[in-house]
Amino acid sequence: MCDTCGCPSPSDHNHDHHDHNHSQAHGHNHSKTVDVHASLFAANDALARVNREHFDEIGAVALNLISSPGSGKTTLLENTIEALKGEINIGVIEGDIETERDADRIRAKGVPVIQLTTGGACHLDAAMTHKGFHRLQKEPGGQDIELLFIENVGNLVCPATFDLGEHERVVLVSVPEGPDKPAKYPKAFTSSQTFVITKTDLLPYFDFPLAEATGDALRLNPHLRTMDLSSTTGTGMEKWLDYLRELVHKMRAKKNA
Amino acid sequence: MHEISLVQELFAQLKELATANNATKIISVTMEIGPHCGVVVDSFQFGFDIISADDALVRGAKLIIEVPPVSYRCTNCRHVEVTTGGKPEECPACGELLLIADGGNDLMLRQVEME
Repeated sequence: MCDTCGCPSPSDHNHDHHDHNHSQAHGHNHSKTVDVHASLFAANDALARVNREHFDEIGAVALNLISSPGSGKTTLLENTIEALKGEINIGVIEGDIETERDADRIRAKGVPVIQLTTGGACHLDAAMTHKGFHRLQKEPGGQDIELLFIENVGNLVCPATFDLGEHERVVLVSVPEGPDKPAKYPKAFTSSQTFVITKTDLLPYFDFPLAEATGDALRLNPHLRTMDLSSTTGTGMEKWLDYLRELVHKMRAKKNA
Repeated sequence: MHEISLVQELFAQLKELATANNATKIISVTMEIGPHCGVVVDSFQFGFDIISADDALVRGAKLIIEVPPVSYRCTNCRHVEVTTGGKPEECPACGELLLIADGGNDLMLRQVEME
């Protein structure tokens, strides 16, 4: 018996650990059970909130782009930058496991960009985004960003779990990937505000019923905005650009209010 | 495998708890893994096993996983169906396909036993 509180000593160990709620000030080794109620997302979510407040403060709309590798995120960004040149100041954070290739492509378009290489991690998180954005602000033009694209690591699974502090999340699926992606990877669609089907110029060559893909996505998330486009031919680009313009105009109005 | 990052976050919390409670050994960890939180239970268990093997504080600790129920509300008749995660194919009351899920989005550390 322990003299201090009367609990069984470590040698007679058949007591119920769960009844131990007394002080931990004992010098000897018996177990205690602590009830916690802590979300493992809490640290990331708290930093994501800080990011979002910062974006609001400087009047930048932040979009988190999520898709599989090769869905055409970077090509869409290249065309978007080209189309909105002189109209909206764009900045880009590129997330990849390795290489500066995507950042090089965006840099060639003349907008501030930084590359985050995760070195193996399959997603970006709020802390990487935070550091990345501060680096981006030091790039030429980085102080005037009104529309920030955060191109997540190509992966339809893991990025869906991590809030980066974006205002809206955009999930993209390209025609060659097939229409079953919303049904197979629901989290990316339930956590997004906008669903973009890309590479629609390839529709004649693939079995991709647009109605099936958008129907499945809307069943998961009835509030999802849906659009389809081809960066190559430009079909559908106006709807995408108008969506971006509307977000930026709202933010400008809020900033000037 | 984003579960590894989340296991690392868990271990950071366990270290803090152990320090605050003068404990040197974690015996068991109870986690609540919501079916919609984007975490695969087997991957989380795998991450826990490999990271705990390298960590003196947590080595040999038991991971207890609880899965909370999720309720699905029918957008047509408002019937609420509670399941352990799986989405019903259709509303059992009226056959509507559009059901809105509620709950099951969090990944919580509930209880830690240590000595």
